[in-house]
Amino acid sequence: MYYDELRSIIEIISAVICFILLRFMIKPYLVTREGRYIGLPLGFGFLGVSYVISAIAYAQPNFVEGDLKWFQLLFRGFSFVFLAVAYYFSKKPSKNTRIFWDITFSGLFVGLTALALLYFIAPQITLDNYWTINLFVRATGIVCLSYIFVHCIREHIKEAEPTSIWVATAYALLGISQYSTLVWVVDKSYFAFWGSLAVRLMGLAVFLYVTYHSFYQLKKKRQQP
Amino acid sequence: MKKIQRRDKMKIYGDLLMILRAESGNEKIVITRIQMKINVPFTRLKKYLSDLAELGLIEDEESLKVTEKGKQYLDEYEAVLAFMKRMGMSYK
Repeated sequence: MYYDELRSIIEIISAVICFILLRFMIKPYLVTREGRYIGLPLGFGFLGVSYVISAIAYAQPNFVEGDLKWFQLLFRGFSFVFLAVAYYFSKKPSKNTRIFWDITFSGLFVGLTALALLYFIAPQITLDNYWTINLFVRATGIVCLSYIFVHCIREHIKEAEPTSIWVATAYALLGISQYSTLVWVVDKSYFAFWGSLAVRLMGLAVFLYVTYHSFYQLKKKRQQP
Repeated sequence: MKKIQRRDKMKIYGDLLMILRAESGNEKIVITRIQMKINVPFTRLKKYLSDLAELGLIEDEESLKVTEKGKQYLDEYEAVLAFMKRMGMSYK
């Protein structure tokens, strides 16, 4: 009982941070009006939704494994894919790749919807293979986050922007969190499990700090005479 | 020969406003100097300036002064560009 409550609280905190971040992550898209940046808010939005689903699942006293967890897994997996795709297209000149990012994001949406519907059409597939799919989703998350981490490090070396190393660190922390969850799924190590939650919160907190620094501290500096 | 990257319309608007703001310290804003800095053909520059005036971001096509709304947009634009840089995203 105590575990479920604690877990719900952690999930709610993670979801709140994600939705705060979403408000700022949408700005690049709103200012540039370029579809390739939509992956950033969608990624953090879906991540937030996955935490909300987790919180609901753990708040249920008679929580049945698999019911809500399927959607949680789906949204979490796709959130990292959306983020990775956004980073991939960000380094390409917009004029040449517009059609590709439109097709990719549409394809991802269709994939997400189809897999969500799979739960209603053939629930036995999703429930019977839950642990295998869980492993696959976590591994996909690690691959996507590793790609983003390398991308951020490269940009950091190129641009020499001191704060960008924090973003790379945040993605690395999210990746470690996914890896720890993977260890927990395979090994049932509680150290890995609680470690993954702690590292995830740290990663999201770093994102929050970078966002605050970008939009509020700089604004304050500018307003000073 | 170095290939010149094509820019999106929003990026040109942002760059143009930044140049106009930087030039506002001068007594007179010379349109040919703006054209040289923004690197677009004169007819297209005139079209962009008329768009900016229509949006209320500059006073008019003659004075080329950036309005309060234009300054606010530019502040937001610069903050978002800095944020994107921090996030490891480039705006090409």
